[in-house]
Amino acid sequence: MGTIEYAIEAHHLKKQFTVSESGKGLWGSVKALFSAKTRIVDAVNGVSFAIRPGEFVGYVGENGAGKSTTIKMLTGILVPSSGTARVNGVVPYEDRKKNGMNIGVVFGQRTQLWWDLPVRETYEMLRVIYRVPKNGFDETMKKLSAALDLGPLMEMPVRKLSLGQRMRCDIAASLVHRPGVLFLDEPTIGLDVLAKENIRTFLKDLNKTDGTTIILTTHDMNDIEQLCRRLIILDKGIVIYDGATEDLKQRFVHDKLIEVEFHEPPDGLALVPELLVVRESGTKKWLKFQNGNSGIAAAIGKLASMYPVKDLSVREPSVESIIRAIYEKTVLLPEHKDAP
Amino acid sequence: MTAAMFLKFASVSFQRQIAYRFDYFVAVLNGFLYVFIFTSVWRVVFTKAGGEHGGFTTESIVTYAVIAMVIRISFSMDDTALPGKVRDGSVAVDLIRPMPFHAMNLAEAMGYSAFHFIARGIPILAVSALLFPVRIPADHLPLALVSLALAYLILFMLNFAVGLLAFWYIEIFPFMLLKYGLLNLLSGGIVPMDFFPAAVRPFLAFLPFQHIFYTPASIIIGHANGALAIEMVAEQAAWVAVMGAVCALAWRAGQNKLVIQGG
Repeated sequence: MGTIEYAIEAHHLKKQFTVSESGKGLWGSVKALFSAKTRIVDAVNGVSFAIRPGEFVGYVGENGAGKSTTIKMLTGILVPSSGTARVNGVVPYEDRKKNGMNIGVVFGQRTQLWWDLPVRETYEMLRVIYRVPKNGFDETMKKLSAALDLGPLMEMPVRKLSLGQRMRCDIAASLVHRPGVLFLDEPTIGLDVLAKENIRTFLKDLNKTDGTTIILTTHDMNDIEQLCRRLIILDKGIVIYDGATEDLKQRFVHDKLIEVEFHEPPDGLALVPELLVVRESGTKKWLKFQNGNSGIAAAIGKLASMYPVKDLSVREPSVESIIRAIYEKTVLLPEHKDAP
Repeated sequence: MTAAMFLKFASVSFQRQIAYRFDYFVAVLNGFLYVFIFTSVWRVVFTKAGGEHGGFTTESIVTYAVIAMVIRISFSMDDTALPGKVRDGSVAVDLIRPMPFHAMNLAEAMGYSAFHFIARGIPILAVSALLFPVRIPADHLPLALVSLALAYLILFMLNFAVGLLAFWYIEIFPFMLLKYGLLNLLSGGIVPMDFFPAAVRPFLAFLPFQHIFYTPASIIIGHANGALAIEMVAEQAAWVAVMGAVCALAWRAGQNKLVIQGG
């Protein structure tokens, strides 16, 4: 594999599905037998982005925004209606098998393990499928087994695994052939906090030490905050944000909430002009930073020098609250410019 | 697809069958029952007809019935697997793997069939050979094996092509029913083609069905031999080519149509 500029490229990717609509009730279904009304749905409507090798990108959007459909085009499962895509230089839907050798895929909602086989045999199947040399395979499995604690699960049949155990096994299965690009489609769905945390630690490490390019779709914004330096937000089939996760948070710095507890309730609402009081209760006030010449720290310093502050904390807006605000259109993002 | 991969998939499919033990015993009984019914019916019919009809004697039609049934049993395939995977979306998992989809399906079908050949086909053949006058001339065996292999491919591709319809229609049960009907009637699995009216037989030559059970069974029992047998095998080979092309085109078109259910 030579050096390539981008691990994943999407250019104006579109996918349309034809959905047949049957009318309401029995009569509607009968009518649909003879004149099937169809409607075209733009699941993905011109998505472009480029991801460099070694990036860890969050790909988020509400249900039906087109996340999974994009992933399925990049993994060669679905053929785009128009536009092009390249993964490691390979066009996935034209050369599905070659692409398959380069990528790992985890679908949180379904397993790629053989339901009726013990876990160990599943990996043996994958070793043969991906033509992994025996000694390389043993080494990889040893590492994966230690990192994901697969030891006790190896002899268990897949159908007896819990969801968290199954997900660990599934993630290992996607890495048997040490792919350069890993697609994770909701890998933490339905897992408890501890299981999620273990998986996050593992993925973070994989991205850092192996340099694996990872694209992750999720509804759990903690996944994004802890893992993804870059975030692509999708809404109704189009990209509405593509940039650093940190930048998105910076834009919403004005939404930082400052909680102050005073020794004595100060008189009046206006404390310092840069801080707007949004709520108060007893000796506590909640403030929001407003535009000022100096930064938020200076405003807090000013406040503390003027009033008897007992306790003070600053709460950052969570990525979740930011994204929710974006979906609800209560905030508008600046015009998004398409990647190359 | 390497040979090792093919064998892996076939053996997993084989092992899966072993897990359904109760189904197995019921299926063995079912097979014997069918052999018993068909041989009894032919015996009665042939006795009434004076012991000879359409190139068969009472003895050879009983042999035909046993062999055709053993082939049918040995050619068991899970033709609901592919449409099932499309319906629940798990076909996505097959498609992320760097292997040809048709070869993977063929490997699974062969593992499945191998189990039914060993566990049902052979015992039913052995017991039937004790109960009925089953005569298999050995000199046709090489050609019969070629014919069996081609017949198997034709049946597999028929199942594969019908299964692929799931890429267009979520519910393909009506197509499956049509397929079962045509197979029962036109494949020679129950009634050999010789008993069809002469006016109908030329039309059957335009369909692949008779090459699934009639051709191999006829060659095995020596009902078709010499130049005729070779001609029938050549027709089988032609059908393999035609159906292979149909499957390849359907697969290509189907990929554009595919919708993965359930996200």
